[in-house]
Amino acid sequence: MAAKAPALHRFTRQGISLEGGIRFFFASNAGLTIVILVLIIAFLLKEGLGFFPGYRRELEVYRVAGLEFVDLSRGPLTSHEQLASVLNRAYYAEINGRAAKELKRMLESSELFNAYSEGVAPPRDLILKNLENGVDPNSEMLVQLRERFAERQARALNSLPPTPHLTIPERAALVADLRRREVTATEDPALVTVLADEYGAARQRFAEPLSGFREVIDSFESAGSDLSDLVMDMTETVTVTKEAIQRADILEKDRSSLLAAAANTKDPAERERLTADAEAALAETPDIAGPMQTLMARKPDCAATHAALREALAGITAKLPSSLTRPEANRLLQAAHKGTPILLAELAAAPARINEWRSDKPVPLSMAIRRFLTGKDWVTGGEWQDFYGILPLFVGSLMVSVVALIIAIPLGIGAAIYVNQFSARLEQSLIKPVIEFIQAIPSVVLGFIGILVLGTVLREVSQVEWLAWVPGFPIEERLNIFTAGCLLALMSIPTIFSLAEDALNNVPAAYAEASDALGASRFQTTFRVIVPAAYSGMLVAVLLGLGRVIGETMVVLLVAGNRIKIPDFSSGIGSFFQPAHTLTGIIAQELGEVPLGSVHYRALFVVGILLFVIVLGINATAHRFFNRTPI
Amino acid sequence: MQNPEKLIRKGLPRGHLKDLMVKLLLGAATYGVVIIALLLFAKIVKDGAPVLFKAEAPFVDFGFLLDKNETLHVFDDSQGVRHQLPASRYNEYLTAHADQPIYNEQTFSYSGGGIVGPIVGTILLTLGSMILALFFGVSAAIYLSEYAKQSPFIHAVRLAILNLAGVPSIVFGLFGFAVFVLAVPVLTSAPADRSLLTIPLFMGNYVISFQGWNSSLIAGCATLACMILPVVITASEESLKAVPQGFRDAALAMGATRWQTIRKTVLPFSLPGILTSSLLAVGRVAGETAPIMFTAAVAAKDDLPWESLANPFDLLSSQVQALPYHIYTLAARIPASEYTQRAQYGSVFVFLILVASLSFGSMLLRAKLRARIKW
Repeated sequence: MAAKAPALHRFTRQGISLEGGIRFFFASNAGLTIVILVLIIAFLLKEGLGFFPGYRRELEVYRVAGLEFVDLSRGPLTSHEQLASVLNRAYYAEINGRAAKELKRMLESSELFNAYSEGVAPPRDLILKNLENGVDPNSEMLVQLRERFAERQARALNSLPPTPHLTIPERAALVADLRRREVTATEDPALVTVLADEYGAARQRFAEPLSGFREVIDSFESAGSDLSDLVMDMTETVTVTKEAIQRADILEKDRSSLLAAAANTKDPAERERLTADAEAALAETPDIAGPMQTLMARKPDCAATHAALREALAGITAKLPSSLTRPEANRLLQAAHKGTPILLAELAAAPARINEWRSDKPVPLSMAIRRFLTGKDWVTGGEWQDFYGILPLFVGSLMVSVVALIIAIPLGIGAAIYVNQFSARLEQSLIKPVIEFIQAIPSVVLGFIGILVLGTVLREVSQVEWLAWVPGFPIEERLNIFTAGCLLALMSIPTIFSLAEDALNNVPAAYAEASDALGASRFQTTFRVIVPAAYSGMLVAVLLGLGRVIGETMVVLLVAGNRIKIPDFSSGIGSFFQPAHTLTGIIAQELGEVPLGSVHYRALFVVGILLFVIVLGINATAHRFFNRTPI
Repeated sequence: MQNPEKLIRKGLPRGHLKDLMVKLLLGAATYGVVIIALLLFAKIVKDGAPVLFKAEAPFVDFGFLLDKNETLHVFDDSQGVRHQLPASRYNEYLTAHADQPIYNEQTFSYSGGGIVGPIVGTILLTLGSMILALFFGVSAAIYLSEYAKQSPFIHAVRLAILNLAGVPSIVFGLFGFAVFVLAVPVLTSAPADRSLLTIPLFMGNYVISFQGWNSSLIAGCATLACMILPVVITASEESLKAVPQGFRDAALAMGATRWQTIRKTVLPFSLPGILTSSLLAVGRVAGETAPIMFTAAVAAKDDLPWESLANPFDLLSSQVQALPYHIYTLAARIPASEYTQRAQYGSVFVFLILVASLSFGSMLLRAKLRARIKW
């Protein structure tokens, strides 16, 4: 028996009605949100998914052309060069450390001189230009200019920087010298020259006992020359091959698009012509085998050079002194001591890797994915080879978020507890609007503040001497992870504050009353009853704050320093004072410059997908906790 | 019990000092945040206000608000007097003093003149995106609040709203770039090569080509509207729900249709609330940079958006300057010096005043509304 549709009431109008249309209109507008979300996902995937095959092809060319082979030797070479530079820095740190007094005296005197020169520069330049022009200088004007010069000179002499390491007579002599100084004088004042000579002599004096160390460093440096020559040589050959392959790829792409166009054309003559064009564009297969054979012929040579370098270095590094007297120099030397076994191991492993390497080993898609997710380099627009490794960006985003949360959680939640539990009504009406106002500050304004104010202030603070014990101080770069983290903390405090305060508000009054009735003090009630009851709400607050921090773009783009490198973790907490780049920042910085449809362009969309997934994951977790709130 | 007085402990309770310390600590954290925020505001006002205001009447430097943005030239003339002139007046100066040499010339991009272009661009972007967002957002909210019953569709809509609200603004930038700049359909007679799909219309040469709107005002507005949509929907739904159910019941009982009920009894009472909470959304739209970087904004533009247009509709397809993007350019691309400070702090000050007054206005209006409407 067929099921019958339920009979409609006879008053019900059937068919399309105005009411139904209006209802449908509103429903479709509500559906728009779903459409937008689906469009976001679809277009991110559409642009992003092409990345992996494209990147695989790039990696394949990298292997087939032999660039990968050269990089096998380049890796140890780079480490060797870095180690040599560390040793050099240790050497100069030691000498400058011993000659610190002379160095400071020289720097102070020249700083003082520079401050003076800068102070008088504008009128001085004008006088000089008027004199050299050859045209009869307007004498009246020249007098006026000289007056202005004297005025500037007096002002400059009154605002000279302090010179704690110069004796008082020395300083007085220098200032007197400057006061007497001719407008046209170009040579340095006497004391500046004397102190420079003094410093030179001191360097010479302190370099003598270190001559053994110097020799070791020199032989260390020169040991790498064979490998360096070899790498340079091979680089030239493989670059030529790579260019040939890329050219062929482009021609092939043109050909297939011509063929596709031919297939779509209805006009037979036109189709004939396009097909002919396509045939003409057929690229000759570039010669890969020939250059590869010569490259492979070098394998034994390569392996031998590595072994020789290893042997030479093992001998040389044994002669390095075990310690130096200056702390900075000693730190660098110890770093070199730690680095040598790693370099030696790298060199020892290299011959085996070189012999194993084959140009015809296939490059699977999984390798492109792996290198994207775990790659340590994000190198784009280079001449050698582009790499798209997400790790430096991810680590940068993570570190910025960690700094932001470490600052924002105590402040945001502390403020929420204070406002909710301990403050008077009047205080509340002051604090809440101010914190709401922070939320209204656009992020680009915060980034602006970070560049123009906070970065400079933080660096100046870090240069105060009695703060030198803080790891990472003094800060080298004005724009770094910590600066960005501070600003992001400020951005996320309102989010954390208001959500945490809501959570505290939502704790039923009965909890507090019961606690009071049992004789608990105000503090016991707050910290043993109310705060624990609001834990899950506070967790939601922190998670949503984190979501906001990770997705934030303008502050990190302006303030995080934009250096695409995994920070050097050897300096411990100090690594938070290094510049970094972030997932959001890289999209904002590079999307405007990449050619549409290129691998690089697609890589940015994959970063976008990753960001989207991370933030949605965080928000979903937050909402699960939100629904689990026991109250 | 001999002496009940003994049972009452005198003096301060145990742990009093610890409690006080904790309270002080929490208070310090709170006021620390408040003081930092106030310091920040004070810094911007201190450096920015002198750009906009002056001591004599009419007290406001309209030049900064109403002049176009230009390159700043700084130079000395042969008398040693330092001049700071925007590009147009610099050229006038050069023609007027053609025989005199100038010295120590420096140029600073974007630092001369005023910021009328960015202000106008921001206003256009905000207006356009709010019109779109309010139209679609309020309609969606009406459906959610007045028509919807529990259904999988409604569940999906709510989930989509929740997720859209969390998407980072830079991802909206990517989305806007991929969709509105590169993929949406346009009616054209000459489709671009990158068009995803062309549909012939058999009317002259015209085809519908999915090639996007390029970087333009309309693409920026659409991107911003998508971004702000969840906020507008949530706020509007709240205002609609605040209208007592009795109003609807009464209207329906009088024989009004669903739509008549909404139009005559629900919307009029909830509209003030919707507009008030939308002001907050306006503040957010005006402040966003990442979504418009690739979809609408341009760093330098000589004309105001409506100047030198062939027809009025070209306004929608032209790029605009925008205040947040202008600030980004000033902060990131120009080395800070004493000559760029005026442009930098002035722009930030104007921008902050704009955004702060929006959010402050919304707060005030909300308080007023709550006091006025009592069901």
